[in-house]
Amino acid sequence: MTTVLELKQVTKTFGSGHKKVEALKETDFEAKRGELIAIIGPSGSGKSTFLTIVGGLLSPTSGEVILNGQNVTEMSEKQRSHIRLQEIGFILQASNLIPFLTVAKQMKLLDKVKKNNMTGDEIEQLYEDLGIGELRGKYPSDLSGGERQRVAIAKSLYSNPSILLADEPTASLDSDRAYEVMELLQRETKSKNTTSIVVTHDTRLISYCDKVYNMTDGVLKLYEENA
Amino acid sequence: MFLAWNEIQKNKLRFVLITGVLMLVAYLVFFLSGLATGLKDLNRESVDKWKASGIVLTEESDKSLYQSSMSIEQLDDVQADETAILGQLSAIAGNGEEKANVSIFGIREDEFIMPEVTEGDAFTGDNEVIADSSLKESGFIVGDELQLSSSEEKLKIVGFTDKGRFNASPVLYTDLDTLQRVKFGEGAQTNADRINAIVIKGDMLDDLINDEKLEVVEIETFIENLPGYTEQNLTLTFMIYFLFAISAIIVAIFLYVLTVQKISMFGVMKAQGISNLYLSKSVIAQTFILAAIGVLVGLGLTLVTGAFLPAAVPVSFDIPTMLIYGSVLILVAIIGAVFSVLTIVRIDPLKAIGG
Ligand SMILES: Nc1ncnc2c1ncn2[C@@H]1O[C@H](COP(=O)(O)OP(=O)(O)OP(=O)(O)O)[C@@H](O)[C@H]1O
Ligand SMILES: [Mg+2]
Repeated sequence: MTTVLELKQVTKTFGSGHKKVEALKETDFEAKRGELIAIIGPSGSGKSTFLTIVGGLLSPTSGEVILNGQNVTEMSEKQRSHIRLQEIGFILQASNLIPFLTVAKQMKLLDKVKKNNMTGDEIEQLYEDLGIGELRGKYPSDLSGGERQRVAIAKSLYSNPSILLADEPTASLDSDRAYEVMELLQRETKSKNTTSIVVTHDTRLISYCDKVYNMTDGVLKLYEENA
Repeated sequence: MFLAWNEIQKNKLRFVLITGVLMLVAYLVFFLSGLATGLKDLNRESVDKWKASGIVLTEESDKSLYQSSMSIEQLDDVQADETAILGQLSAIAGNGEEKANVSIFGIREDEFIMPEVTEGDAFTGDNEVIADSSLKESGFIVGDELQLSSSEEKLKIVGFTDKGRFNASPVLYTDLDTLQRVKFGEGAQTNADRINAIVIKGDMLDDLINDEKLEVVEIETFIENLPGYTEQNLTLTFMIYFLFAISAIIVAIFLYVLTVQKISMFGVMKAQGISNLYLSKSVIAQTFILAAIGVLVGLGLTLVTGAFLPAAVPVSFDIPTMLIYGSVLILVAIIGAVFSVLTIVRIDPLKAIGG
């Protein structure tokens, strides 16, 4: 399996002096194609910090982030924005849908701003995989939480990103819906052979994952590996 | 354009409101510009009709036709391609029913300031005049006998010409002899050589005149010095400029409020890697759509209103000027959108998605 993501001795410190917070202590990390990885840990332990560094939204204080062989740490904001667009799919806790676009138009927007676009058939397949074909004419405000999250996943999967980052994607869902979403992530990760990293509070969801990491006080440790 | 247009479609009311405000501002701008053009015409159309390059007045008159008085013989001191003499008198003329403030021009019919007759005939005999057609709207007709406020003489309208208003009064064109009789009464004989000005065509040369008491005034300068002309113009121009500034501010505030409401949405899009350029272009495109619609509707409304206004309201729409003002309005609206663009560029996607 090919390595998609590599973190080398990455740290993140917020503030300075006695207000200094070491949100992420020296971390080495690796993720391969086809892996679904969960990160669990208490509130304030540094999970979101880790994820935003991986996603190129936050610069680490030291160390390097290498995505598909490219050193993200050395890039300008403009280049990182480009990497986010082409290589990374984000799924956020709150809906990341655009309120004034219908489901179909959310996809259309990606079609406009991204390269390597999906063909009509591929998009149909994506709709079908996520069970959102019926929803394409609807606005986000007319969708249920679970439906919204499925659309968000569809968006993040559009044109096959190298890596999918999800920060508590199931937080706003009841447990049935949460399982559904995790199952879906698992299926898409396997079938598209991408890499997904999911931050979650919910330890019941980790059974879907290949690897589970635990974050405590900025220290990331492998917790469980499902064969 | 994609984002811009879809957002407008979804949130119609919001955008109809902004467009409505822009439309009203555009309406006001166009109307004021129509009024400005109308008032200008009222003052200058008879002078514009000459297509002259300058006018010779006496030095002491301080560029006022009314105050200038010279002798016809001074024509010899003027070296121009073409010349036309002009005598002038302001008076009140009445046909028994209607009265009007008029300006009487004494001219020679073979010189270039002789107007073209659009109805009736040119003056040939004593006391015959060609009147400006605006007098028709005030109830004067061909054949009317006119009493004058300052003279026993009676004038007779034999024809009409269009675009013959000078300094807000319709002009009666007649020959110089008739003017002298009206102007000087008993003394007409002795004053037969008195005229107010010599209008000239051709290049404006420095050595055009060799008489120290005379002064050549360029036509534009002459018009600007007509009583009230510059003041009126400046007032309206200032109002129009203020409206430009106001519309920029209105658009800036409206769009800024909308943008601030959407900060987290923009943040999410930026987190997903959609570039500042794309988002900024979308806001600019949106502003352009709104402003263009507002301006076009405003323009249509202005023209419709103009068609229904009574003739007494001095509006006249100069389409090139209106197009320029319309473009300026769209441009200032876009400048107003720059604040929103700056806001978008400054959004930190990290804050927007909240860890
Ligand atoms: N911008 C910041 N400035 C200062 N401190 C920060 C900043 N962002 C995060 N921190 C601190 O870094 C630590 C890790 O925060 P992080 O958001 O990564 O936690 P988390 O594991 O995602 O928590 P939760 O499960 O509640 O979302 C916390 O102590 C937090 O207060
Ligand atoms: Mg978090």
